[in-house]
Amino acid sequence: MVVRERVTGVDLSVEMCGITLSTPLVPASGTLAKEALGEVEGVYGAILPKTTTPAARAGNPPPRVAETPAGMVNSIGLQNPGVERFMEDLDAFDLGVPLFVSVAGETVRDFAALCERVSEDGRVAAVELNLSCPNVEHGGLTFCAGPAAVEEVVTACRAAAPTKPLFAKLTHEGVVGNARAAESAGADALTVMNTIPALTIDAKRRSVLVRGGLSGPAVKPVALKAVHDVARTVRVPVLGGGGVTSGTDVAEFMLAGATLVQVGTASFVRDPVEILAEFSDYLREAGMGAAELTGALR
Amino acid sequence: MKFYTVEIEARRELGAYTLISYRWPGEKVEPGRFVMARAAGYPVTLDPFLARPFSFYDFEDGVASLLFEVRGRGTALLDRATRTVEVTAPLGRGFEIDASAGRAALLGGGIGVAPLKILGRELSARGIDHDVFLGFLDAGTAAVADDFAGASVATMDGSAGTHGTVLDAAPDLLEYPVVYACGPNAMLAAVKDAAGPDGLRQLSVEERMGCGNGSCNGCVVPVDGGYVRSCVEGPVFRAEVLAW
Repeated sequence: MVVRERVTGVDLSVEMCGITLSTPLVPASGTLAKEALGEVEGVYGAILPKTTTPAARAGNPPPRVAETPAGMVNSIGLQNPGVERFMEDLDAFDLGVPLFVSVAGETVRDFAALCERVSEDGRVAAVELNLSCPNVEHGGLTFCAGPAAVEEVVTACRAAAPTKPLFAKLTHEGVVGNARAAESAGADALTVMNTIPALTIDAKRRSVLVRGGLSGPAVKPVALKAVHDVARTVRVPVLGGGGVTSGTDVAEFMLAGATLVQVGTASFVRDPVEILAEFSDYLREAGMGAAELTGALR
Repeated sequence: MKFYTVEIEARRELGAYTLISYRWPGEKVEPGRFVMARAAGYPVTLDPFLARPFSFYDFEDGVASLLFEVRGRGTALLDRATRTVEVTAPLGRGFEIDASAGRAALLGGGIGVAPLKILGRELSARGIDHDVFLGFLDAGTAAVADDFAGASVATMDGSAGTHGTVLDAAPDLLEYPVVYACGPNAMLAAVKDAAGPDGLRQLSVEERMGCGNGSCNGCVVPVDGGYVRSCVEGPVFRAEVLAW
């Protein structure tokens, strides 16, 4: 296999929450469709499909994406077929690597019910709580609005899925306080970070183009700081990500304290195989294995 | 999604439009499918960051081409590319071709004429009679019509061909058992209306895209009961499927 040839001589494997992964790369939720899975075999250490919700969601009316310098703003609105159909189709995401499932609800009870539903399935290795998607409003706020909100929803999910690893996905705003709250409520790991709330305007038409979340290389320094701050504060592992576009970016996130690194928007413009190959070159040069890199800033 | 860096073989100016041809490295090209293309960067360009979707304009002897008009930063950089461009594997679902269905009308609006060149080539190769109708804003953009032998042309400002829309250049579409169209949504909706519900009516939509491979859900079009992705379920749709 092409991927394997390009990563020989380095140990890419990492372990998190008792799960062994062949590489530290994970697709960011909502950036890898099942139709595109065939091309990334061997690249990702786990697969993480688009967020699922209790019922089907049609999503937002177009336009949903707008390009910005070094990134894009999206407002998809969590379009998905709902958890039951998602679970029926789960085998489509089987690449022989652990499967993480991202969930989002509109109420704490929704979240808990989703955790119970997906965690009872043996094919699901871990559940990521999408607490920070800025597209979905809850009384004008997200579940990531503050430590109290985070603690409430994570506590409920912990009770609903007592044995399955739970990751809380956080936005960069107030991330340290929210990270502490998620950890104390029983989260096994933290995903840092989600897209940054953003707006694009069509000056010619004098109208809002897309109000949504910014992703891509533009957000990388913000994400790196968030990961660094969180990793120094909590004991649970961190899945870092935000604008990861190269193998060096992967290394930077791990040095900042991430155990796993999520690749999202960049996979639309680069073959993620290249990112993994570059990361392997970095490790080879450094004489290190991937697992040694986490938090290894001098 | 496979990413390729391809050498530019030739470029032609066709009035306001530019045609870039390149040796196609991938699998079989079909009319109506598309590539995501962008100027090469190291390892990517940051502004613009995303690639742009382009229909296959033509494909012959292993050489594919794409047609574009400079409208923003992405197409400006493509226009300046001299040696290589980056393209992805052929994407999307193309036109259905039914040799038994009868005469076809091909309607293109503006840069939406692009997939009709390769479609016309395929129809001719299969011996399917067809007529081509192309609509543009003005004579500058209409210059590309010279590359479509026998096409009827309309311009909005009357500077070339019939004064009016592409539908003003076409006879009654109800007479055609098969209608293919590509262009802006307003034009496609008008074609859908004029072509009626019977027969094979296929519309190729032009949507803003993020990824091109179904992952981002950014390029959706409305259908009964929700939205579908134009990059995977389209960009060619049966007219009756689109909830316009």
